[in-house]
Amino acid sequence: MKKILLIVFMSLCISAPAFALDGNEMLKKVDRNLNPESYEMYRKLIDIEPDGSKKEFVMYAVKKDKEKMASVFLSPASEKGRSTLRIGENMWLYIPNVGKPIRITSLQSVTGGVFNNSDIMRLDYSLEYNCEKVEATDKGHILHLKAKTNTVAYDRLKMWVYGKRLLPDKIECFASSGMLIKTIYYKKVKDFGGGIVRPAVIETDSPLYKGYKSIMIFAKVKAKDLPDEVFTLNYMSKVEGLRQ
Amino acid sequence: MKLSLCTLFYLIFIYISIPGFIYAEDKSSETIDFDFEIPEVEKKPYSFNAEFKISETIKGFDEDSLLFQQRYPNGNDDDTFYQTDLNLKVEGSYQVSIVKLYARLNGDLYYNDDEDWENDRRTEEAYISFLPGPSITLDAGKKVLKWGKGYAWNPTAFFSRPKDIEDPDATLEGYYVVTGDLIKSMDGVLKTIALTPVILPVSRHINDEWGMERDTIWGGKIYFFAFDTDLDIMFLSGEEVEDRFGIDFSKNISANFEIHGEAAIVLDHVKYITDQQGNLTEKKYDAINFLLGIRYLTSHDTTYIFEYFRNGQGYSSDEMEDYFTLIEDGYQDYISSGSMADLGTSRQYGSQFYNQQTVMKDYLYLKVSQKEPFDILYFTPSVVCIYNINDKSGSITPQITYTPITNLELELKATFLLGKDYTEFGEKLNDYKVYAAVKYYF
Repeated sequence: MKKILLIVFMSLCISAPAFALDGNEMLKKVDRNLNPESYEMYRKLIDIEPDGSKKEFVMYAVKKDKEKMASVFLSPASEKGRSTLRIGENMWLYIPNVGKPIRITSLQSVTGGVFNNSDIMRLDYSLEYNCEKVEATDKGHILHLKAKTNTVAYDRLKMWVYGKRLLPDKIECFASSGMLIKTIYYKKVKDFGGGIVRPAVIETDSPLYKGYKSIMIFAKVKAKDLPDEVFTLNYMSKVEGLRQ
Repeated sequence: MKLSLCTLFYLIFIYISIPGFIYAEDKSSETIDFDFEIPEVEKKPYSFNAEFKISETIKGFDEDSLLFQQRYPNGNDDDTFYQTDLNLKVEGSYQVSIVKLYARLNGDLYYNDDEDWENDRRTEEAYISFLPGPSITLDAGKKVLKWGKGYAWNPTAFFSRPKDIEDPDATLEGYYVVTGDLIKSMDGVLKTIALTPVILPVSRHINDEWGMERDTIWGGKIYFFAFDTDLDIMFLSGEEVEDRFGIDFSKNISANFEIHGEAAIVLDHVKYITDQQGNLTEKKYDAINFLLGIRYLTSHDTTYIFEYFRNGQGYSSDEMEDYFTLIEDGYQDYISSGSMADLGTSRQYGSQFYNQQTVMKDYLYLKVSQKEPFDILYFTPSVVCIYNINDKSGSITPQITYTPITNLELELKATFLLGKDYTEFGEKLNDYKVYAAVKYYF
């Protein structure tokens, strides 16, 4: 009997690591569940001020592989034609009036408001962050993420991942000082077709902008093959031409 | 009438600038209905955009300055100059398959005491593009080609008109060119290489700013993206123009710190120099122009743009002093004898060579802007300083921009010129300028 118990105990000990949660693997799954590696999509950004007044921006964006993303503003008229390009940590902004791309940083905001460039041109979380700890909760898990380099906009993230689909529910973004910069809420899971089922709304608030709120609404998210030449400075003024 | 217009203008500006005034209703964000429809996802073959601007410019004359005496030798009744501008900029495009047409028109109707009501219309851009694929593009027509990485100056912008240093982001008028892009992306250290050839024909009918003789100007730019660095090499060559070669770069040292630079050599550049008597001489030499600059964003959302510009084609302090002496002596002649000879000569040289922006050799530019201070969204105060190292004169411009409502932008700025006698900024026509504008996009 003792031998049987010992064998059961040892087998449990050996098999335990196989069941252990690999946070980085989970993070990669979260990324793929949010969107395919290469895709196109439309987004509406809504900034809401404490008095309830709103400002809306509509963008078309394309992403390829792990580190390439380009987007262009379709409205309002004051922003139309502004395009952004991101290759890894390199970011550029093209303003039609200025007529040439200029380098920008991840913490700046193309539009003003609570969203910064890093939010608008977000690459896969697993590209920028390592998971240091996974915390189990009643509903799912909390991933504690640390930026791989100091060029990333937020030093640490705390990501609540719920459900069988492994989709994020909430993300808290912290500066290296430990200060909470903003909280991102993922809402309204929607089937976009082509196997893409993900939250259609992202809501953001920030203690730095008390009373202000930003909403991002997703539409027409679908996988798309794109040539690498789309993600170059020379193509920034033509990104809108990719729309069909 | 002008004062009341101006007062009205400022009242509107101040009224709209106070956040919350026009949105007094108290709405909780939870009660807002979001429009989940995005009509813009439906692509149309055409697009149309316009920008309407009303602006008021007030300049305070410096009646002791040499450029004031050059322009108004009999003095001027008013010590202040007012100008009201109504500006409409319209752009549109139409695309069928791989062919796209694009045009941008700019019309300005303005009023000032000197000219009464006048208008200025121009086609800034109008070209046809062939877009067979992302790696190849061909454009023909009037087009702006802005090269270089500098913010205030671009010594490598060989095919552009000079920027207005008081408004470096303003649209420019293009030249008639045939150009295109050939782009190749790769894996490895060199991620992108792109070739932009340019052909600029010159005749009496088109591009006559480049000369009156029939000529074809060739140029090109090769862009490389490697080691997270942008690098361009460019050239311009023609029978009747000064050949030039250039290089520029831009790189992020860290997420919030960018460095950039440009350098160009203009071969056999001819500089026209006057002496104190108004005798014009030519000096031919290879001029080297270069710029070094940074952009730095602090953790408090303050952006610094700082640039040093070496203008190898510019005038030295001694050469400028000779020009200023010519004006002063000419003015004294006019006062004592009524002769306009020397003053007229100085006017001619001024309009052709000397009375330009960035006319001397060494300059510094600093722009400090603060994003949305005091939690006021879409509000950006900034200050711009331009400093002429050679004669220690300069200007300082505090300014604010605010977009309280979608598509409505307000701008207010005041420029103060500082400099002693016989200095570039000290001898300008005015010693301050106030500019206010309301811009609406639709």
